[in-house]
Amino acid sequence: MSSRRSRQSASVSRISDDQIIELVSKLRQLLPEIRDRRSDKVSASKVLQETCNYIRSLHREVDDLSERLSQLLATIDSDSAEAAIIRSLIM
Amino acid sequence: MRSPGSLKQEFLKKWIMGLQRCSSSKNSMSVLDRKKAIKLSADIAMASARKGTTCWSRALIASASKGASDKHLVEQILGPESERLILMKKFSTGALVCSKRIRSKKILKRSCGIRRTRKCAPQAALASSIAKRLVRKRTQVLKRLIPGGEFMNEVSLIEETLDYIISLRAQVDVMRSLASASELMNHN
Repeated sequence: MSSRRSRQSASVSRISDDQIIELVSKLRQLLPEIRDRRSDKVSASKVLQETCNYIRSLHREVDDLSERLSQLLATIDSDSAEAAIIRSLIM
Repeated sequence: MRSPGSLKQEFLKKWIMGLQRCSSSKNSMSVLDRKKAIKLSADIAMASARKGTTCWSRALIASASKGASDKHLVEQILGPESERLILMKKFSTGALVCSKRIRSKKILKRSCGIRRTRKCAPQAALASSIAKRLVRKRTQVLKRLIPGGEFMNEVSLIEETLDYIISLRAQVDVMRSLASASELMNHN
């Protein structure tokens, strides 16, 4: 009984390990830093760390861009032709 | 895979729709309020481009719909499908039960594995247990970054991360293009 249970859990994690390796390699392709380094041996924790840093930097960039657009819309010169274009597009 | 170009198009369409709805309601908003509205529209547009196929997009829509005024915006961007998409988050908890079972089996196997290797090579086991602890710690951080991440098992987390990063990149590219183009026009 116990051997069957351990075999079951082993087969579940064996499938997951292969999947995890494949997914981690895909993740490496996306991360700019690791992709350029061209080494095959990158640890899982390094990949995770770079992933978290990358996501945080993308969040920051979205925040900055929202700030820029917001200020742009606030300071736009209301009578110019360009303002009318922008306004018709996003306001 | 889904082409990034069509993803950007989908995002742009929905985002502009959201921006127009936001701005038409209040003409004189503070800079901070407008920034929040722009960001909210961008996030909802990014999530809706996935049409409820990924967990993170459903979690994002669900959390955006919590406020009454925001929920209105969500419904307008998502259109007729909005009710279904907002409710989908509640029904996805069925996956929790199976993933918990798989996760507890893996934790059990991992803990048995550590006990076994410690008898053979203590140094290697120490290094691998440190590595495992690092991986677990970083996985926790990642779970906090991905919307809805706390409920996913390891495999789903990585899949969702891949999709989330691709969507975030499309979002950033489109927003950057619009910001640069608007600034260029404004300086003339």
